[in-house]
This record gives sequence, C-alpha cells and structure tokens, in this order.
Amino acid sequence: MNVIVILLGVSLTIAIGFLIAFLWSVRSGQYEDTYTPSVRILLDDVDNKSQNNTAEEKVREKDDGQQS
Amino acid sequence: MLKSGITDTPPEIQDKHEQKTRLVCAHCGLDCPNDSVHLGDLYFCCQGCKKVYELLHANEMCAYYDLNEKPGITPQQDTSNLKYGFLDEEEIQQKLKEFSDGTTARVTFHIPAMHCASCIYLLERLNQLDSAITNSRVNFVRKELTLTYREEERSLREVVELIASLGYEPRIRLEDVEKKGRKDDRKKLYMQIGVAGFAFGNIMLLSFPEYLAHGTESVETFLRNLFVWVSAILSIPVVVFSGQDYLTSAWKGLRHKVVNLDVPISLGILALMGRSWFEIISGVGVGYFDSLSGLIFLLLLGKLFQAKTYETLSFERDYTAYFPVAVLKKEIDCERSVPVMSLEPGDRIVIRNQELIPADSILIAGDGAIDYSFVTGESQPVPKENGDIIYAGGRQIGEAIELDVIEKVSQSYLTRLWNHDSFTDQETRGTASLANRISKHFVAAVLLIALGAFLLHLPSDAGLAFQVLTAVLIVACPCALALATPFTLGTTMRIFGRNDLYLKNADVVERMAHVTSLIFDKTGTLTQSGTGEIQRIGEELGEDQLSLVKSLIRHSTHPLSMRLYAGLQAPVHPVVENFREYPGRGIEGIVQGQKIRVGSRTFTGAGDITDNIGLENLVGETHFSINDVYSGGFRIQTQLRPGLQGLIDRLKQRFNLALLSGDTEREKELLQPIFPNDTPMQFNQSPHDKLQYIKSQQKEGKKVLMVGDGLNDAGALQASHVGIALTEDVTAFSPASDALLDANTLGELDRFLCFSRIAVRIIIAGFVLSFLYNIIGLSFAVAGKLSPLVSAILMPASSISVVAFATFYTRWRAKMYGLRI
Amino acid sequence: MANNLETFRYDNQIVKLFAWATMIFGVIGMAVGVLVAFQLVFPSLNFGIPYTTLSRIRPVHTNAVIFAFVGNAIFMGVYHSMPRLLKTPMWSKALSYFHFWGWQAIIVSAAVTIPLGFTTSKEYAELEWPFDVAIVVVWGLFILNVVMTMLKRRERHLYVAIWFYIATAVTVWVLHIFNSFEIPYNWLRSYSLYAGVQDALVQWWYGHNAVAFVLTTPFLGLMYYYLPKAANRPVYSYRLSIIHFWSLIFIYIWAGPHHLLYSALPGWAQSLGTAFSIMLIAPSWGGMFNGLLTMRGAWYKFREDPIIKFMVVAVVCYGWATLEGPLLALKSVNSISHFTDWTISHVHVGTLGWNGMLTMGIMYWLIPRLWKTKLKWKWMASTHFYLAFVGMIIYVVPLWLAAVTQGLMWKAFNADGFLMYPNFIEITQRILPLLLMRGLGGALYLFGFVLMIVNLVATMKEGSFEKETEAQAAPLEKEVKGEKVFWHRWLEKRPVQFSILATIVIAIGGFVEIVPLYVIRSNVPTISSVTPYTPLELEGRDIYIREGCLACHSQQVRPFRDETERYGPYSMAGEYVYDHPFLWGSKRTGPDLHRVGGKYPDGWHYSHMEDPVSMTPGSIMPVYPWLITNQLNTNATAAKIRAMQTLGVPYPEGYDEMALADLQTQADSIAANLQESGYEVESDREIIALIAYLQRLGQDIKVTGP
Repeated sequence: MNVIVILLGVSLTIAIGFLIAFLWSVRSGQYEDTYTPSVRILLDDVDNKSQNNTAEEKVREKDDGQQS
Repeated sequence: MLKSGITDTPPEIQDKHEQKTRLVCAHCGLDCPNDSVHLGDLYFCCQGCKKVYELLHANEMCAYYDLNEKPGITPQQDTSNLKYGFLDEEEIQQKLKEFSDGTTARVTFHIPAMHCASCIYLLERLNQLDSAITNSRVNFVRKELTLTYREEERSLREVVELIASLGYEPRIRLEDVEKKGRKDDRKKLYMQIGVAGFAFGNIMLLSFPEYLAHGTESVETFLRNLFVWVSAILSIPVVVFSGQDYLTSAWKGLRHKVVNLDVPISLGILALMGRSWFEIISGVGVGYFDSLSGLIFLLLLGKLFQAKTYETLSFERDYTAYFPVAVLKKEIDCERSVPVMSLEPGDRIVIRNQELIPADSILIAGDGAIDYSFVTGESQPVPKENGDIIYAGGRQIGEAIELDVIEKVSQSYLTRLWNHDSFTDQETRGTASLANRISKHFVAAVLLIALGAFLLHLPSDAGLAFQVLTAVLIVACPCALALATPFTLGTTMRIFGRNDLYLKNADVVERMAHVTSLIFDKTGTLTQSGTGEIQRIGEELGEDQLSLVKSLIRHSTHPLSMRLYAGLQAPVHPVVENFREYPGRGIEGIVQGQKIRVGSRTFTGAGDITDNIGLENLVGETHFSINDVYSGGFRIQTQLRPGLQGLIDRLKQRFNLALLSGDTEREKELLQPIFPNDTPMQFNQSPHDKLQYIKSQQKEGKKVLMVGDGLNDAGALQASHVGIALTEDVTAFSPASDALLDANTLGELDRFLCFSRIAVRIIIAGFVLSFLYNIIGLSFAVAGKLSPLVSAILMPASSISVVAFATFYTRWRAKMYGLRI
Repeated sequence: MANNLETFRYDNQIVKLFAWATMIFGVIGMAVGVLVAFQLVFPSLNFGIPYTTLSRIRPVHTNAVIFAFVGNAIFMGVYHSMPRLLKTPMWSKALSYFHFWGWQAIIVSAAVTIPLGFTTSKEYAELEWPFDVAIVVVWGLFILNVVMTMLKRRERHLYVAIWFYIATAVTVWVLHIFNSFEIPYNWLRSYSLYAGVQDALVQWWYGHNAVAFVLTTPFLGLMYYYLPKAANRPVYSYRLSIIHFWSLIFIYIWAGPHHLLYSALPGWAQSLGTAFSIMLIAPSWGGMFNGLLTMRGAWYKFREDPIIKFMVVAVVCYGWATLEGPLLALKSVNSISHFTDWTISHVHVGTLGWNGMLTMGIMYWLIPRLWKTKLKWKWMASTHFYLAFVGMIIYVVPLWLAAVTQGLMWKAFNADGFLMYPNFIEITQRILPLLLMRGLGGALYLFGFVLMIVNLVATMKEGSFEKETEAQAAPLEKEVKGEKVFWHRWLEKRPVQFSILATIVIAIGGFVEIVPLYVIRSNVPTISSVTPYTPLELEGRDIYIREGCLACHSQQVRPFRDETERYGPYSMAGEYVYDHPFLWGSKRTGPDLHRVGGKYPDGWHYSHMEDPVSMTPGSIMPVYPWLITNQLNTNATAAKIRAMQTLGVPYPEGYDEMALADLQTQADSIAANLQESGYEVESDREIIALIAYLQRLGQDIKVTGP
C-alpha cells in the first residue's frame, strides 16, 4: 500500500500549508475583531445605493413585501 | 452576540413609523421640543443634529439613515475651542499617537457612542468628509476607531473635533497616555491550540493502524515506522510551543518551592515524551505521541475556556481611566491646557462645567457644586464655598471655577488610596486555589506509587520497571484534574454573568465560597437617596403656593425635582415665563407673575447656615423662594434598596455582618432595624479607616467579603477577600474590584454566595471522578500493561467526561437553583 | 471630494459570462441526467446509438453538472464577490478571461470525447490526459489570479468567504494532479499510473475530496457572502464561521477512504475514513446553524422572498447531506447502502438541494443587480422554488426506498440458507417504478430550472447591464505594528517561515518526481497465480472501459455471505495488481462481474451483447450491437503493451512485437468456439476481445482454488 505514503505526504503538505495560514492569520490580527467584518460586507454596496437608486431600492423592498 | 447592526423592520412596521404624529428628530430620533429647527420637511431636535445631517447629505452619505432608524447621536453642544485644547500639547500627542512619521500619524480612540451599523458606516467613511484622513477603521466589539491622517494638513485636535462634531465623542483619559493600547494576549493561546489541534488530529490518524493492528491484519512494518516517525516529528512543536507554558510555570513554581498543578502535568508531559522517544528509538514500541498531543490540546482548550471573560468589561482600570488627560491652567496672561501630571501645588487651574477635578485643591473663585457620583455614587452635587478643599475625583456642575492645586495628582488623596500597598500585592488575599492545594499531596502520592512500582519490578525486570515508572507518571498526569476546575468555575462565572454578577476571573468563585463575614458600605449601596417620602421643612404651604412651585419644577430634569413633582399634590399652571436654569444651584422662572426659585439653600436665600449641619444634610433637600422670599423646602427621605430586608435576614444566619459608612449617623435609625442587634455599625469612616477595619478582621482569620460602591472604597474592596462593587451601570464604571454587581440584583447576593459553595463541591466531585480514572489507569500501569491504545483511550475519555460533567452538572444545578443559565 | 480614495472598477462582464455558462451547462447537464434516468427504465431510449447510451453518457452527466454547472456557478460567485470583498478588481483581467474560455473549452471537449469513449473510467476524473493537463494549467492560473488579487487587496481583513475560496482552489488543484498520474500510450489514451487497490485508494481520496472541495467549501464561501446579503443581515456568528472553516479544513482531507469500506483496502484505512467522516458532522452542522440563524428576525422574508426560500432550503439540505454522509460511512449501514441507489440519492440531496438551490438563489439575487433592475416575474421564481423542491423530494425519496429494497433483497436468505432472490433481475424489476419516479422528479427540477432561465433572460431584457461597477476605497495602509499585510513581506521579515514554505514547495515537487517509480516498484504481484492480461483481453478491457460498463457493473465482491453466494469468492487485493486503472465501479445496477469469467459460454455473452433481453428477460441493460459489427482496432496494441511494461507489468522483454500474433491466435480460438455453438462471427470483431476479457475475469484465483 505504498500509495498511502503519497496520500499521506500530500495530505500532510496541504494540512501544514493551512496550519501556516492559520498561524499567520491569528498572528497578523485577522481575528482581533470577530464582528465588524460581518457588518462591513453589507455596507459596501450601500454607497452606490445612496447615490443613485436609494428611492428605487426602497420602493422595491416595499412592494416585494406587499406581493405574495 | 452583539446587537445586530443591520435592522430593516418588515414593511408593515415601517408604515407605522411613518404615521408618527409627534415631531421626531430626523437625525437622532429624539423628540423635538418645537418645529423651529428643520430642513424642508425634516425636523431636528437641535442645530447640532441638523449640522450633522447637512454634512452627511452634502457628502452623499445619507445611507447612514437607511441602515438604521434615526441612528444619530446628538453632538455635544459644548464644543468650545478650549475643550480639546490639550490635544495641541506636543507631549500629549506623542503619547496618544500609535505611530507618527511627521507626515502621517495613526491614533486609536475609544468611542462609547458607537452603537450600530450606521456608526460603522459613517466612521469608516470619515475620509469622505475630510480628505486629510486617509484611513479609518472600526473595531465594533471594542468600540474603537483607528484613524490615519496627514499631520501637515490636520492636527490631532482638528481630527478629534471632527469626530466629536458628528456626535462620536472619543473618550480620552489619562490611562490612554499613561500606557499604550491593550494587546491581545490571547493570540499566542490560539496559535498554541492551532498547532496542538493540528498535530493531535494527524497523529491520531497515524496511530489508527496501531490501534487496529491488534485486529485482523497488521500494517506493513515500513508504513508502521513511517507513521511513528511522522507522529514523533509532529509532536515536537506540540511540546516545545504549545506546552511550553505548563513546563515553564512548573519550573517557576518549583524554584519558589511551590508545587502547583502544573508540576504533575509537566511530569506527565515529560514522561510521555521521554518514554515515547525512547520506545521508537530503541524500536520496542510506537510511543504515546497521540496521548501526548491530545493531552496538551485538551489542557489548552480548558485554558481558553477559563481565559474568556466579558469582552466589554475591563476590570483592569484604575483612577487614570477616569481622570482627564489635561487641565486648563491659568497663568498671568493666558490660559493653556497642561497635562495633569505636570500640575504642581500652587498652580491655578480652571475647571469648567462637567469637568473632573484632577488633584486635591482649594476653591478660589466661583460657586462649586461638586458631583461626587464618580467617587461616592451619589448624584446630588455638593455645594462648595470659597476656601473649601475639594478632593480629586469630584465633577464640577455649573459655572467654571478656579482652584489652587494643593497636591500633585500623584499625591492626591484618591491617588494615594489607589497606590496603597493593598492594591499592589495580591498575596494578601489570594489563598492558593483548591487545585493547587491538592496537587501537593497528589504529586507526593504519584511519585510514591511510581517509585514503589519501580522498585517492585526492579529485581525481576529492570526494563519493565522503567516502563512501569513512566507509565505511572503518564497515567497519573492530572489533565482531568486540571480541567475540572476551569470548566466548573468558568461555567459558574458565565451563569453569574447572566444573572448580573460579573466576576473579574474564575477564581473569585472559589474565594466567594470561603467567605465568612460580610461588610457593607452604606453610601449608595444599601440606600437610594431621593426616593423616599417627602418631608416638609418649614411651615405648611397653601395649595396655590404648592402649585406655583410644582409648575416650575415641572421644567427641571433634576432627579430630585422629578421625584418632588410626582410627590406634590397640586394643580399645575402650564405657562412659565423666562425660565432659567443655574447649573448645580437651581432653577428660576415666573409663574402667574410671581418669581419662583427652586434649588439649594444659598440659591433660595435661606441665608447663612446658622446651625452647623454638615453638607451631608443638604443631600436630598430642595428649597425654594417666592418673589425672593425664602419659603422653606422639602427633604426627600433616603430609602433602603428593594429586597435589602430579605437579604439581610437570609445572610445573618450564615455570616457575621458589619456596616461601615462614610456618612454621618443620620441614617443609623434607618438601617438599625434591619440588621441584627450585635452588628457592628461604624459611621464617619474614612476610606482609610475601612481599610484598617478589614485588615483587623482578616487578622482574626475572617474571610471578608466587602460590598462597596467604588473608588472611595477601592482600597477596602481590594484588601478584602472578595470585593464586590455595586453599580448601576456595569459597563461605565468598573473599579478594581473582584466583581461587579448590578445594584438591582443586590437582593440576590446570598444566592450567589451559596451557589459558589455548590460550585466548589462540584469541583471536588470532578476530582473524585478523575481520581477514579487515575486508579484504573494506574492498575494498568503498575501491572506494566499500559498499551498506547489504552492510554490513548483513557486520557481523552477521562478529560472529556470530566469536562462534560463539570459543565453540564454545574448548569443543571444552577437551573435547579433558579439562576438564569 | 476625498482625494486619498482610489477609484477602481469591478468587472461584471466576466460574472455575466460565467452566469450564462452556468445556465447553459445547467440545462445540458440536467437534461442528460434526466435522459440517463429514463434510460434505466426504458433502455431503448439510447436510440441504438453508442454515443447516447447510458453507460457512456452517465459520466457526461456527472462531469457536466459538477464541473460545468456547479463549477461555473462557483466562478460566477467568486468573480463577483471576491473583488468586492477585497476592494480591488481581479489582479489580471486577461487571466480571468483565459480562465473562462479555457474552462469552457475543457468542458466542451469533455462533452465530445467522453461519449466517443475516450475515458480514463475514473469517476469524476474521466477526462483523458491532454485535458487533465489543460485543467492543471487553467486552474493553476486561476489560483495565481486569486492569490495575486489577495495580495493587491485594499481591505485588510480576509472575510471568511475568501478563505473558503482559497482552500477550494489550492486543494482541488493538488488533488487533481495526484489523481491524474497516467502513462499515455497515444495522444488521447492513457493507463493510470496506479493499479488496483492503490488506484482505488487514490481515486476515492480524490473522489471524496472533490466532493468536499468542489461541492462544499466553495459553496460555504458563497453562503457566507450571499445569504447575509440577501437577508440584509450580518451572519449569525462570525466567530463561529471562522471556527467552522478551520475545523472543516483540517478534518476533510482524511475522510476519503470511507468510499471503499469492505473493499480490498486495509481495514485500518477503512475505519479511518469512517472515524473522520463522523467527526465531520460537528463542523458541518455548525455551519448549517450559522446559516439558518442568520435569518433570525427576518423569517418573514422566508415567506415573501423566493431568494431566501432557495437559500434557506439549500442550507437545510447541506445539513441533511452532511448527516446522511457519515451515516453511510458506518460499516453496518454501508454494507447495505453501498452499490445501491442510496449513494445516488445522498449525492443528489447535496447537488440538487445544496448546490443547485443555492446557485439559483444567488442568480435570482445577482442578475437583477447586475442589470440594475428588479426581477421580472416574482411569482415565476416562487413557482420555480416549489418545482425544484418537490422535484428534489420525488427524486431523493423513491431512490432511497429503491436502495433499501435492493440492498435488503440482495442480502435476503431463505430458511434453507439459500439466497431468497438468486435471480438479480428479479430485484431490479422490483425497483423500476421507483426509478421511474426518480426520473420524473429530475424532470420537474429541470423544468423549474428552465423557468428560471426564462425569468432571468426577461429580467435582463428589462434592465441595462452594467459592464463595470465603479467603487472607491482607501489603499491598504502599511502596517506599522508587528502585523504584516502581504505574504511576501511577511516572509521576508521571517526567514524561518520562508524556509518552511520553501520546504513545502520542494516537498510537493519531490512527491511529483518520486511518485512514478515509487508506485511502480510497489506493484509486484502478491498472488503467484495472477498473471498479466493477454493482448486480446487487454483490448477487451479497453472496450469495457470505453463503453463505460463500470457505470452499472462493479468488479468487487465484498466479504459477505450473500455476495460470495451470488458471485463467488470475495475479491482480494492481489488480484488487481495489473488493473490500470481499477474497475471496481461504485454501483450495481447490474450484477458484479469480478467472477463472471467462465460463468457463461461465449455464445451467451455474444447474444447478450447483441440483445440482453434475449438472454435475461426483463433486463434493463442497453443493447450493444455495434460490438459485433465493429472491427477491433489493434493499431495501439503494441503501444499498450509497452505502456504496461513501463508501469511494471511483467510482460517479457520485446513482447510488444509478438503481442499481435498472440492476440490473433486467442481471437481465432474464441471465434471458432462461437462458430461451434452456431454464431457466425469474424475473429476480428470487438465482441471477441470483450468476451475474452469477461471470460478471464476472476479466473486467476480459480486456477489455484481448492
């Protein structure tokens, strides 16, 4: 079953790669804030909304609500 | 977890919002006093709100208002150019900036006002409002804003003023300049867990063949060796990196002749490692690398569980967290703000409305009305006359006053109290934790058994003897023991938190369990001033006069006035002309053509205080004059906190109680009845007296729990075995005590004490459980039959079951006990 | 206005392209699937054409839905969400488009070559070597593009979705490389480097992880981006999502071997697969709850908004599949479920429910936004939802029933200790109605999908497509504390870490080099009586592969009494040492063939291939008349022998020269044998080779057998 050696090697290599990624992310403070990012992603398309089609959007939200 | 930032209420509800008739500020959502301030059909409660709206509108940032309903915060009216003057001080800037290279600078502020997605939206787009700000990022959990800006274009002060003008006033305190922003100390732990977990998973995987080798077909020797060696290599970082803390702490312990729990753990780790390497090098076996990494992984998880406290609460604050960074210093020709630390006796300082007095000083000019709520928890301002000494920590309400500093900040009364030795040395209070106490005997026992077994086998078979020796050490490794404590206490701590008792750390639970006597501090703890019945001072009044007074105080927001307004039975005249408020002194206005004043004695012209009653007595009193004729006043009785009676009744059965109060005996008669007669009650206690009293108690070997109310008791709180600070708002004010108790939950105190005892019993049960495992393991070990599989099963099994037991049983008991879980 | 802000443009064109590809290949892939489903009940639906015969187009279906439909859906989502999450356009527009066209080219060539019979026969990896190489290149450049985009980002924090994307890209690439080691013997054909058990192990290690990293991780990434967007709520617990990612990543890699329970694989490796599959439940369900709880306080949207309907049901299906999976990995369950339709049912909960519905939800959300308008017909979207949902149920549940029936009937013994249903076809007949329902379910699902396309196209007509979206963001400021922004800077500063990475790179390189000799060296026969295939048998075997027989026939008798009763002695690892590739199969629509050799006379096979029903009344096997008319192409025989020799198969030196002669003699004998039993057939027909191969199967053991 020598092929296991290969699978082991490959899997370990991948896993170690991820481990390093993990250590990097912790160390570089990726996870110091575990809330704001989840809100942040919702804010980015807000900008263009407010510029052009805020009204539209709102209307849409509304009648989406009324329908069905 | 947190208040969800984004909220979009379902359509139907939105419609309701539209149909509001009363005027609501389009920015902050507060009611508008009138419709004077408006922009088209948008109304605002004040010019400040309007300004912010216009600013955002001009910059196409009105999405701010789409995200949340009326998210705005009314900006502070007082943006006098002096307010942030101190930020121009080079020295202060140096300390505030995290980074500065002359062209760009970065600085982080704590912004309490931050509360929703809109805040994040706005604060992270500051660069759209001011191009000099190159980057702004929010950490919502910590309510922090990190700013990068171009220094040659903007001064730190301008930046801060911009944020403040938007309503997001940064909270800059002395501590911000004293020590740098807090570091996330958990990073390392996370990394250690990551490494251990990774290695554990893979080693377990590689050990599988070994486990099943006993079964039908065994693995080719080539693979077997490969797996073993890979495991061995994987285990190195686990010991060296993930497990280092245990080894070092054990080493430190031993150097100080202390046998803490880390000693047997380290023994186990080393035994596991040594034995394993020996086995694979000599080729006699495959080692215990799975157990090794698993053990460390689980231990670290326990550690993490214990380390987690409340994100928003910081117990590590000291007075610097409340003191201003700078104060306005008056010099011959000009006024300039100087760092408080640089104040010298004799300096003349100016304290404006709402500012904190940083150092003990003498009032020179102006009417002092000092709100000591920060120190004593009592909100009524205490009037001060020229020449009075004002202790640091008070907050001036009303007009600006001038003071002469008589002590350096570091020498001030409060500061001295803080720096009292009882703050620094922890040993005075900390009895070694249960686990550590047990571990002494534990280690002894283990070594004894190990040695015994070793000698037992030595004559017959040295190799076996060696095996048994290590095996015993391995099995005896008290990981279960080490986990029982953190998980029980951690769970308890969480449960307490849900019931509004916030502990500094898990060990407090254990200390609470040992408490023998309780000491209460009166001020603001047992009583709520200004809530009791209303007493008339002076001769009775006719209804018409009453109604005049009532009509006036209707317009005041002072807690006393409100109470009084509710209490007085009289009709109200709606119209009040030229209403004026004299901050800290009183209010004035024309009702029915008569000039009415309501406020302090002096304000209402009660004349000099002939009877020399201390200022204390003025607390809870309101006086008034009609057409400048002093017409007596009202005293509002202080009242016991709800549930206090019951609490004392329950407590007095188990603990000996005592009462120390900084007040006069005025309320003795109020408190006397609820306490047992033999209760020592001492009044007019200075904080220092309290400290001494507690020390004396402790000399008698009593374990004292002190319920105080913050800074002026801080010394005592700190010195006592367990110090609980009672507070109305747990996030705003957290002095260096062991725990914070929500004032409304005071009545529950005894329940917490009792449950902490239950918790300790649960820990002991956990120990027993883990000992059972150890005994089973030992029986294997002593017989020299501890196969890798056995240990690999036994170790996690014991740890996990103990953890499960600790966690779930604790929760269950708490449930039974009627605590919210 | 603000002058420090950098203005840049997100490319929507690439998203549009991938969206179209998703819709087109979605229809094709599902249509083929439906056709296959009905062919199972009505074999005549192959119209007597080789290229539309079930056994050849089943891989077309699997590849089309997994790599064309789901694959393009993933890229659509990645190319849309990733730039927005990182606040920067993709690093190289050129690479993006190269990726798109390259990927479509690969898909099309697959759709052509596989029906033509150019297949490696490895499930989900059927493509032949030239396309394998193409995949390595295209996907590799995709990784490059993703990583560079990451380095150029303006947003310091990497949102959890990004992590899922990266994990997907890197892992799939590596898996593909290591599963695709093969020795070409001509420009379109090759033999797998590994043989038998080893090949099987690699294949299912790949197979499982393909499921993990193509059908799961990328979609979790998409879920964490689009579900909050659609619900307009932050994800329930961002912290949980981070834990979800890391725990999932570390466990997934190992769960592969559970696909080979009771096979000739070493027991410990099997148990390993099981153990880790069970462990997977925890993180998977963590993810599911995180998704569902994101809806808290917005459930009214579930009533009103079809997008939310799709996404929520998708997440539920994810939970369902991730619970059913480990269940199937339990040895006891697996002994019944394996080789039956349960596997198919399970897979389709994942694909129809999780992948399909999430994709649809995303498209309903995305298309109107890209075209700056609102969805044309909301009611139609809702209808689509109900069609898809009902369709899935009608697909999954009957198949599950069929599976259990089949599994139990196979295993049933009567009182006298004989098989209760010795006749395989009897069992098959029993489940036909259920298979028919499955087909209908699939058709419903497909119909719904078509409705979506109609609806979306109408929506596109309504609106005006925004080629690029302009956005602004401040540049990522240089980190002045310990934190480092860019990988390379992070590396420069820490030589240690750099060396670690370097070693890893070298390690991979090393593996790639050592694998060949290593595996070959280990291919020494362990059973003396097992000998290499004769040239004719080898040709027959290649026909077996070309026709895709393993789509319905396993070659793997498991150590159960019922199987040994039914088929003969259970299979042993040693028997497969010359099987490049292994042909165990994963499904028994028809009986196992590993012991079919010598079971029937040559003539039986002859007429069975011509018309199965003539031999087995009620058989649902398609007809293969062309095998009798087609002439056997022996041009490559010598090359094949040589290829096998390089793979370590002990043909004598220079045997490739003699091969044709041997082939002819064996063919003649079989032809003669057939003529005796009254079948007029030339010795140079494909049928001869196939018969040779079939009659050889399982013989090696019998020789030595007691």
